[in-house]
Amino acid sequence: MTTTLTAPAVPTRRRVLPRGFAHGGLLLVLVAIIVFASLRTDAFLSTNNLLNVLRQVSVVAVIAAGLTLLMTAGGMDFSMGGNVAVTTAVAAQLFAHGQSIWLTVVVSIALATVIGLVNGAVVTFTGVAPFVATLATATLLDGVALLVINGLSVSIDDQLSALGIGKTFGLPNLLIVAIAVLAVTAFVMRYTTFGRDAFAIGGNEDVARLSGITVARDKLLLYGLAGALSGLAGIMLLARLGASSPGTGGLQLQLTAVAAVVIGGTSLAGGKGTVFGTVLGVLLLGVVANVLNLLQINSYYQQISVGAVLLIAAVANLLQRRRH
Amino acid sequence: MTAEDPVVRVSDISKSFGGAVALRDVSLELFSGEVHALMGMNGAGKSTLVRILSGAQNADSGVMEIGGTAAGQLTARKARKLGIATVPQRRELVMTLTVAENIMLGDLPTRTSLVRWKPVRQLARQALRDLGIDVDVDALAGDLTVAEQTMVEVAREVRRGGRVLILDEPTACLGAEAAAQIHALVGRLCEAGVAVVFISHHIAEVLALADRITVLRDGRVVWGGQAKETDEAGLVRSMVGRDVVSTKPPRSIKKEQIGLRISDVGEGRFIEDFSVEVRQGEVVAVLGPAGDAQSRLFDLLSGRRRPDRGRLEVNGRHVRFGKVGRSLSSGLRCVTGDRRRLGLIPELTVDENLMLARDRLDRRRLHRRDRLARRAAPLRDDYRVVTLTPNPPVGLLSGGNQQKVLLAKWLGTEPVACLLEDPTNGVDIAAMADIHTLVDGLAAAGVAVLLASSDADEVMRLADRVVVVRDGRTIAEYDIDRISRDELVAVALGGAIS
Repeated sequence: MTTTLTAPAVPTRRRVLPRGFAHGGLLLVLVAIIVFASLRTDAFLSTNNLLNVLRQVSVVAVIAAGLTLLMTAGGMDFSMGGNVAVTTAVAAQLFAHGQSIWLTVVVSIALATVIGLVNGAVVTFTGVAPFVATLATATLLDGVALLVINGLSVSIDDQLSALGIGKTFGLPNLLIVAIAVLAVTAFVMRYTTFGRDAFAIGGNEDVARLSGITVARDKLLLYGLAGALSGLAGIMLLARLGASSPGTGGLQLQLTAVAAVVIGGTSLAGGKGTVFGTVLGVLLLGVVANVLNLLQINSYYQQISVGAVLLIAAVANLLQRRRH
Repeated sequence: MTAEDPVVRVSDISKSFGGAVALRDVSLELFSGEVHALMGMNGAGKSTLVRILSGAQNADSGVMEIGGTAAGQLTARKARKLGIATVPQRRELVMTLTVAENIMLGDLPTRTSLVRWKPVRQLARQALRDLGIDVDVDALAGDLTVAEQTMVEVAREVRRGGRVLILDEPTACLGAEAAAQIHALVGRLCEAGVAVVFISHHIAEVLALADRITVLRDGRVVWGGQAKETDEAGLVRSMVGRDVVSTKPPRSIKKEQIGLRISDVGEGRFIEDFSVEVRQGEVVAVLGPAGDAQSRLFDLLSGRRRPDRGRLEVNGRHVRFGKVGRSLSSGLRCVTGDRRRLGLIPELTVDENLMLARDRLDRRRLHRRDRLARRAAPLRDDYRVVTLTPNPPVGLLSGGNQQKVLLAKWLGTEPVACLLEDPTNGVDIAAMADIHTLVDGLAAAGVAVLLASSDADEVMRLADRVVVVRDGRTIAEYDIDRISRDELVAVALGGAIS
């Protein structure tokens, strides 16, 4: 990888293997489930079903991308799901009041960004633990969302159907948006100083500050970014569902995103994280949910199975890392 | 001294990791009531040997006998049961619990599974008294000084039945007074019949304290014997494999301009009216006991803390206290003595740590690994950072190499003035000489260097002038060629000024 050697290089195993191997345990679990699913039901491997799975995980993927960057910097935002709920509610009401698509989208995402920045300001300037601060805002936002739609389902008809069910070159537009977000996030984390600042802040905030990194500004930006991506995810979710109802978004969505990021190997303590791992985490959760549906398993067991897979993936991930 | 059998006998132990040999045919005997010093440079194999002795790792080959019987496959638990205890370099106390609880941890006296607090404190007090340690059992471990924490940890291990005690650099971060407390404790341990393995980089300390010395180099025993059979020069030659010369070059201070001026700084009861001026190309040391005023300078000059009063000027320009950005843009560079907490980011690679500050100062936006490596390469060469793999996380390097990365990170950014806090903390003798040469180079380049130190020898080697502080006050100031080392130590320890 580098060409500078000051001592005879000892080839290490890690360098020889492809990059994805760092997530070998996770990949193995994913492949095992895919093989199992395709043996049990023909429907799984059909193009339609696969595209459907990808369409469904797109929303989680966008949230998880923002969360990966934020958690790498040692932050946490539990209110992204709540932010999604508020965004969908506000956007649905704007549509219901006859506003144009562009205005609606811009206002919703701007609002979500502001919510993120407020989170960031609280965490950065008061020193309240991010977990606590954003759990509070999460609850608050869930309530606000219900208030905005007055506890009723608000339909948007087919105003966002181009995004929700449209396809480009055979790929769902939702998926394309998600891939773009993931790719940009991966680029930022690997190739920009801002991304590397996130690793530094997550690794040791004091050292980062002393090294001339503008920690407070970076953290605000990261929370703002998490908010903006929640807004985008909210628009995507609204486009897919065609309506904002009580319980859209919220804590369930949030927990799925957190689970995906953590399964993907991003450290809860900060300093470590990859978008590739997060993608695997998102896919794993999406595939498991889909397979359980296809096999028509009782929804109680579905929940139990998802929990079990989470546990297995987390353990596989850790065992994998310990060997290095 | 003893004709009896050794408590621990290690014969022909070898250990390698992957392709790298860490220990080769190492033999060692430990006797009760003796201090056995283990010396060697960073990476010589001391830590591996300690891990094998304490059962944390097993040797590839060789025999280890404890109390005359072969120990076989040791585990950490088994080693402890057989009386081998380690006091590692980093404190292993629960900082939020009291001294008494820490000493009795894992062995709290209970009745019907409820903790009986009275015996907890009694037994803990007894354990401390047996070793002549004067520490309050009700104090929180986190409130103690580092030396006191070390002593509490020793007391805990002895109470648990430690007959062989491995002390890993117990005096590394301590001032003279605190180190003396530890030395006295080691003496009492020997009287109590404990076999002490003492690891240290300080040669004078080892010669004064040890009965036997084993020197490791590149995983082999290069010298072993009674301490009285060797001297300082001999030990250095064994450790490094050559003579290490670290003499002070003649320094011609031509510049008259003040590079760094600190005036009338006061902060609570820690610093009272501290003033110092450093000319460009001059090295001025602030010497005091560990934890005294000189240890506060880093926080103040780096912008982490704002003092109650005082003024800071770099090259004649006023710099506001309390802002990291202001401090950096003035050209002042502060190198911490606490590289774990304030110096490096262990998860990030060597190259990234090296360029962490430089790239931010340059306001670089993009990050390319190959280019980063190219920019970091000259720093690695200049500061002789040695790594086994091309670019490992910096946390995997030896202490000496980490320290060099830390210095390179800051001093590679064209400083106008710099503060160096204990720049050779925990590094071996060769690295120390390298670092001293680097500081000479800084001065020669016209940088105003302020050295915060608790080590009189280092001050004598590096400084042109020395300011002695005690209890937050400046008590004396000397040109370094007007005072001898012993006089300086006497002043620093509170002796009268002759």
